[in-house]
Amino acid sequence: MRNNVLIIGGGPAGLEASANLQRLGYNVLLVEHSNTLGGHLGKWDRLFPSGTPASGALDKLLGSMDGVKCFTDTEIQSINRLGKSYNVILSNGITVLADAVLVVTGFDLFQAEKKEEYGYGIYDHVITNADLEQYFKTGLDARINAPRKIGFVHCVGSRDEKSGCRSCSKVCCATAVKQACEMKAAFPDAQIYCFYMDLRMFGRHYEDMYLEAQRDYGIRFIRGRVAEVSENIDGSLSVKAEDTVSSKPLKVSLDLLVLMAGMRPSVSGQRIGSLLGMQNEKDGYFEVLSEITSQQRSPIPGIFLAGAATGPKTLPDTLADARGAATQIDKYLSDIFPKAKDLKQLIKTAW
Amino acid sequence: MMPANIFPILAAQASPEVIDRIPSSYSHFVIPFVAGITFFLVWIFVGLIRVLTQLNHDDRMQFWTSLLNPITAGKNIRDLFCDCLFHTKIWQRKPLLGYMHSAIAFGWFMLIVLGHIEVALFVPKHLSYGEGGLFYPIFYRYFVWIRPGHETLRGAFFFFLMDFFLLYVLTGIGLAMFKRFRSIVLGMRHTTKPSLADRVALYSLWMIFPLRLLAESFTADLSGGSFLTLGMNHLLHFLFGDKLYFQPFWWAYSICLGTFFAAMPFSRYMHILTEVLWILFRNAGLKPSHPRKGVAEAEIYACSSCGLCLDACPMNVQKKNLKYSSVYFIRFLRRHNERKIAEIADKCLMCDKCHALCPVSVDAPALRRAQRQTTNDHLPYDYSYLDTAPVKLHEAAIPRHPELDSGSDSSKVLYFAGCMSHLTPRIIKAVEELFKKAGTEYVFADREGGICCGRPLLLAGKKEAAAKTMDANKSMIKASGCKTLVLSCPICYKVFKEEYNLAGIRVVHYTQYFKELIDAGKLNVGKSGEKIVYHDPCELGRGCNVYEEPRTVLRQVGDLVKAGHEYDESICCGGSLGSLTLSQNDRRKITDAAIKDLTIAFPETIVTACPLCLKTFSERSTVPVKDFAEVLTNHCG
Repeated sequence: MRNNVLIIGGGPAGLEASANLQRLGYNVLLVEHSNTLGGHLGKWDRLFPSGTPASGALDKLLGSMDGVKCFTDTEIQSINRLGKSYNVILSNGITVLADAVLVVTGFDLFQAEKKEEYGYGIYDHVITNADLEQYFKTGLDARINAPRKIGFVHCVGSRDEKSGCRSCSKVCCATAVKQACEMKAAFPDAQIYCFYMDLRMFGRHYEDMYLEAQRDYGIRFIRGRVAEVSENIDGSLSVKAEDTVSSKPLKVSLDLLVLMAGMRPSVSGQRIGSLLGMQNEKDGYFEVLSEITSQQRSPIPGIFLAGAATGPKTLPDTLADARGAATQIDKYLSDIFPKAKDLKQLIKTAW
Repeated sequence: MMPANIFPILAAQASPEVIDRIPSSYSHFVIPFVAGITFFLVWIFVGLIRVLTQLNHDDRMQFWTSLLNPITAGKNIRDLFCDCLFHTKIWQRKPLLGYMHSAIAFGWFMLIVLGHIEVALFVPKHLSYGEGGLFYPIFYRYFVWIRPGHETLRGAFFFFLMDFFLLYVLTGIGLAMFKRFRSIVLGMRHTTKPSLADRVALYSLWMIFPLRLLAESFTADLSGGSFLTLGMNHLLHFLFGDKLYFQPFWWAYSICLGTFFAAMPFSRYMHILTEVLWILFRNAGLKPSHPRKGVAEAEIYACSSCGLCLDACPMNVQKKNLKYSSVYFIRFLRRHNERKIAEIADKCLMCDKCHALCPVSVDAPALRRAQRQTTNDHLPYDYSYLDTAPVKLHEAAIPRHPELDSGSDSSKVLYFAGCMSHLTPRIIKAVEELFKKAGTEYVFADREGGICCGRPLLLAGKKEAAAKTMDANKSMIKASGCKTLVLSCPICYKVFKEEYNLAGIRVVHYTQYFKELIDAGKLNVGKSGEKIVYHDPCELGRGCNVYEEPRTVLRQVGDLVKAGHEYDESICCGGSLGSLTLSQNDRRKITDAAIKDLTIAFPETIVTACPLCLKTFSERSTVPVKDFAEVLTNHCG
């Protein structure tokens, strides 16, 4: 008998973990509450640092899912411990007895309208990073109308106590630099500004991308937060910021403002967390057993975590985390259900 | 009441003319009482002189002249009765608690007054220095006995009144004892932790009246009494036979009184007399300029530590923050605990609710501002931006409505959005739209950015910095030539109205201005069935007493439902600029509590009239939060 593993969440972490667990010989069941697999990756156009097409990466993840049972448009209705396992009832009426559960519920983008001073949803030419990716994918957005001056605001809803998030979202700096270059490529006459607090170019090739943005694309980086945005009568935006390098207030008129909305713990993930009785840490993400040595284990036996459910991560980090979770689950199941990997059975199939 | 004989030799000359009463002479048991009250009287006399000398010259003149002003004098008398004796402000909110306080205060007051009347009527000689000596019957029922066969109806009437008020006080004391253990029954979720002196005074106060009942009951057959003391007396005779040893009870009664008076200056009960001075100061319009001296001293000793501000304080959604309440701030001011004083002063949100709900209107936020001023006012500031800030006036190009043209010429309106409205652009958008719809000719004072109105600086105790920004704004407003100043931020509104002295310029909040436009028929609003709840911003409601204008308008556009706490009991949104150190986490807890309180009647929309409240609520609420002007634009034809 093969052990059942339930994966909650069909984003990149869920896909990567299920493919690995399936390959390890478990019976994997993936539940996704929306109607498509791929999570935020499916909505993105290209990926930093080298502009890899997101669709290619997603196709690769989906391509190794043979044998995994996927339920989209499905919610977890209840989940209860039953002996060593978990009895899970799904909204489509199916009941599963899962020996291990992997929670990969990911993140939600910060709702940029909550930073009202930036005017998202109020002014005509303010968009978010996600809107811009959608525009790159489809070429359609009424708010983007041959802009000649474009601004990117870093850290919208991140590193901002007032908006309820002290931590860094990790991906926005690199995304902003990537998107700024892409916009320059799309509108070669445009002047592009990035308003940042710090540029956190921590990953491999990120510094190269930042250098190219300045050298090859002429992006102007201004260290200072945007204070407020107002709309002029002609529809252009008047942006007030502080240039902390020269210690002077600054005012520019822009045709398009892109807000780099950060990461927040996903609302649907919080629901799963409360069903399981899992604790959140102060930042709202799930608590892990040990942040150094057991990052993929929750304090509840048999419940594993991966990806952005335990804090903001880049895509490669998320995938690595998912693979880590797969090996952790494998170890756990072999320890707790030793008969599951019956040696005779294994020899019979392997030889 | 019985005579306290201070000088036994003089008192020995008991007057022979008294025929219906037998006054007797000195007894040792009065010593504890005389010692306690002498100490107390000296203490308050010295304190009074100190407070008066600490006032600056202008304040002192203002105080003396206020006493001569008949209007203030009338107000003083009314306030002294209502606030000190009847506690009407507590009655209005919590009747049982009001009964408790007024029973003890008014009851005791009446016992003292009636006691003096009894002395004046029945042993008049003792009031005269020449004949009776320096001898005054405080313990009347010990020292003045009825001559057998001389009971009068008039005497019985006073005996009845004395017993009645004693019973009245005893019911109050009973409630007070009960409140120590179950305060929630009297409407208080939290109650103050008494200090050591408070406890000494508290327990002696509890004991005074039961002991008085016992003492007077023991002598009621000799000194006279009514339903209570005589009844008790019969019971005591029944229990203990013919001979009653009353001395121990009079001793105990005197000791309790003496202890109470001796502990009073160090306890919260100092408020009983200090609040008289504070009410006179308050009505004279004096404001504390120092957190500890002069007016402030009267104010902090007027605090009765009743703890009504504990439940009022929005910070107390978390029990750990109880220590930042005004009552403890004042206690630490009394004790000169500088570290805690500074910490608590900075924590406060300055929502003013403790001031609004205080039975004697102790203005703790003003004390906190004065405290902040001691550290913040002299910090160095860079004022260069005041000169460089481009204060340009932008006249909006408005197509004129021919039909409204006749009315719109006379008044040009100056609109000052302020920093906070600039962070909530939907307010500015809605206000401009409404101006255009009503055909108001307006000048947008700070479209290109302005400078701070000064209120946040004042709240932080930066008086000098505030004065500089206020001067800069003042010249900008004067230069505009406008006669009406409209503000969309209550924080600006309060300071423009109260501190700027803009003679000849009418300062209005946009809720008031749009109500006028609607009343004049310039704005037409339609009613929908939308369930609306209105949140009173602190600075607009408690700060400027604007409660009805926004409600009147909102009733015309939707179905206005009630919040849990409204008007002056409204809960701060948690975003207040007033606090210098409260953490975001604590603020969020307050915001969530305020939203929960606003949505008890399941409204579809929360409406507020302050950009800061709007922003704070929008970030946390699941119910849509809208600005007052935004709601009007949605309902304007």
